[in-house]
Amino acid sequence: MNRIPAVLFLLSVAILSSAQNFSGSRKYDGVHSSEYSAYLMGGYNVVTGTFVGEAVTYTRHLSDRWSASVGEQVQFLKQLYSFDVMGTYRLPVGKSDIFFDGRFLFNRYNRWRVNEPILHLSALWQTRFVDLRIGGSYIHYRMVGVDTRRTGAGYTEPVAVTVGFGINLMPRTNPWNLGLFIRNYDHFYYENWNINWGLRFYSTLREQMKLFGEFNIRPAGSLSQLATRYETSLKLGLRYVL
Amino acid sequence: MYCKMKKTLLPLVLSILSLVSCDKVSPIGVLVAGTSVEDRVKMSNLFYLNHYEDDVWLAADNDYSFLVGADSHLTVDPGRMDEMLAEGLDHGDLFYAHLGDIADTKAEYYVTLDSLLMEAKLRYVESNYRKVNDYEYVEKRNSSPDPIRFTFDEIVYPFFPVVGNHDITHNGWALWSNIFHSSFYEIDVIVVLDDGDIVFDHLIFLDSASGTLGHTQIELIKEGALNGKYDIYRNTFVFTHTNIFRPQFFEFASTFTREENFFLLDQFKKWNVTCVFCGHVHMWDERDYNGVHYLTLETMCEVNNPKPGDYLVRVDVKSDGSVTWSPVHMDYVKK
Repeated sequence: MNRIPAVLFLLSVAILSSAQNFSGSRKYDGVHSSEYSAYLMGGYNVVTGTFVGEAVTYTRHLSDRWSASVGEQVQFLKQLYSFDVMGTYRLPVGKSDIFFDGRFLFNRYNRWRVNEPILHLSALWQTRFVDLRIGGSYIHYRMVGVDTRRTGAGYTEPVAVTVGFGINLMPRTNPWNLGLFIRNYDHFYYENWNINWGLRFYSTLREQMKLFGEFNIRPAGSLSQLATRYETSLKLGLRYVL
Repeated sequence: MYCKMKKTLLPLVLSILSLVSCDKVSPIGVLVAGTSVEDRVKMSNLFYLNHYEDDVWLAADNDYSFLVGADSHLTVDPGRMDEMLAEGLDHGDLFYAHLGDIADTKAEYYVTLDSLLMEAKLRYVESNYRKVNDYEYVEKRNSSPDPIRFTFDEIVYPFFPVVGNHDITHNGWALWSNIFHSSFYEIDVIVVLDDGDIVFDHLIFLDSASGTLGHTQIELIKEGALNGKYDIYRNTFVFTHTNIFRPQFFEFASTFTREENFFLLDQFKKWNVTCVFCGHVHMWDERDYNGVHYLTLETMCEVNNPKPGDYLVRVDVKSDGSVTWSPVHMDYVKK
C-alpha cells in the first residue's frame, strides 16, 4: 500500500517532461532555470516480452554553462529500475555548443537479480541541425545473491565506446521538429556495438511546455552480424520549464 | 524548401520504419541473410525432435576428452579444418565441437567441407568400428557377443557445430543446414564408471549467429527444451558462437544486448553449466562468472592466423567429474 503514493507521484510527474530527450536545444534559455522532463513508454523485447514504463528527469541550470540533473526510470514488466545523476558543462563553439556530460547511472535488472552501475563521460556537439555524441562508458554488473564462494560474482566490462548521431528536419530553435537518430545507447543503457535508431519529434504546446516523442528500433546484432529484431519501443512525454 | 524536404523525407522515413518491422530485412547490419533466427530454430528444433532426441548420444568409459575449435572460415584451403579432425581422431577424443563461422558462404566451399567431413568420417569408422559384412559395422570397443550393428549412414560422426554469423550470409543457412541440419540441440554423454555406476554429462548447442537467440529459441529454453532427459547432470557444457564477454576495449565484434546477456548468464547458472565455449571475436578470453567458466577461442583460420599456434582447446573430463582444459597446437600453414 505504501507504494501507491510513490507510484501516483511518479505518474503525476510523468504528466510533465530531460536533457537526454529530444526537445530542441539543451542550452539554458536564460530565464527558466528548472526543467522537468517525463515520458511514458511502451514496447516489446524478445527476451522479456511486452513492457511499459516511465521516466522522469529534473535538470537545474546552475549558470549559463553548468547544469545538473537527476532522473529515474521504471520499466514495469521488464523489471528494469534505474536512476542517474549527471553534471554538464556547456562550451560554446561558434554557433554550436559542446556539452560535456559526466554521469553515474545505476540499473537494476530485477528479473535476473543484476545490479549494473555505470560511469559515463561524453561530449555532445549540438549544431542547428545535427548532433553528435562521442564518449565512453565504464560498466560493471553483478548478480546479487550468488554464493560468494563461487568465482566471479561480478564483472567489469572493458570501456565501451559511446557514439550517437542525430539529424533534424528543422533548426533546433524551431517550435517543432522531426529527426532521425542512430546511436549505441539510450536514455538508461549503454551498449557495446549494438545500436538503436529511429524517429524523434517535438512540438511546442505553449511557451513553457513541449511535447516530445521517439520511435526506437533496437535490433540485436551489428557489424558483421545480421541485424535482427530485438526491441521496439515508443516514448511520449512532456518537457516543462519554469 | 522545408516543405519540399518534408514531402520527400517523411514518406522515406515511414517506408524505412515499416521495413524494419520485418526481421528478414537488415537495414543496418552489414550482412543480409534470407533466413531469420526464428526460422532457423524452428527448422533445427523439428530436425532435432525427429532425428536427434532419441537416436544421438555419446558413450564413454571413465575418462574422456573432447576438442573445440572456432571460426575456421574455410574457403579453398581446408588444411586447418583437416588438421582439427585428424587431431581429434588421433587423440581419441569423444567428440569435436565447432563454434561457428565454419566456412564462408560459397557453394564450392561447402562442397569442400562436405568432402572433408566424409573423408574424416571414413577414417573415424575405420578406426572405431569393425566391418561385419558388406554394409554393417560394430563398435570395436563393444565386447558383447551380439553387439549392435550399424550401417555407415547410421554411424554418427561426432562432429557437432553451431552456426556462426558468417555461416548465414547470402542464404548460407541453406548450405550449412544441408550438411549439419540443426543449430539448436542437445546431446547426452553417458559415462560408465569402473564401479559400474552411470553418470550423465550434457552438451548444449545454441544458435547465436544473429547476435540474439531470438524469440522462439528463448521461449523454448524457458519451456525447458534444453534441460535434458535426466534429473542430474554431472557436467554441462554449452557451445555457442557469439561471445558473452569482450576480451578488450576495442574490437569490431558485437556481443549480446543487455537483457539477453543477463538472461543467458542466469540461464547458464540454472543449467549448472561447467563451461561455456564461444567464438566470433577471434580473440582469446578466459574468465569465471557466477561459478561458470567461460572460454572464448581464437580463430583457427589460416588467413586470420597464418602462423602455427594454439588455436584449439582440448577438454579432459575425469572419472571423478573434474574438468581441465589445455591448448592444442595447430601446425598447418597455408601452402
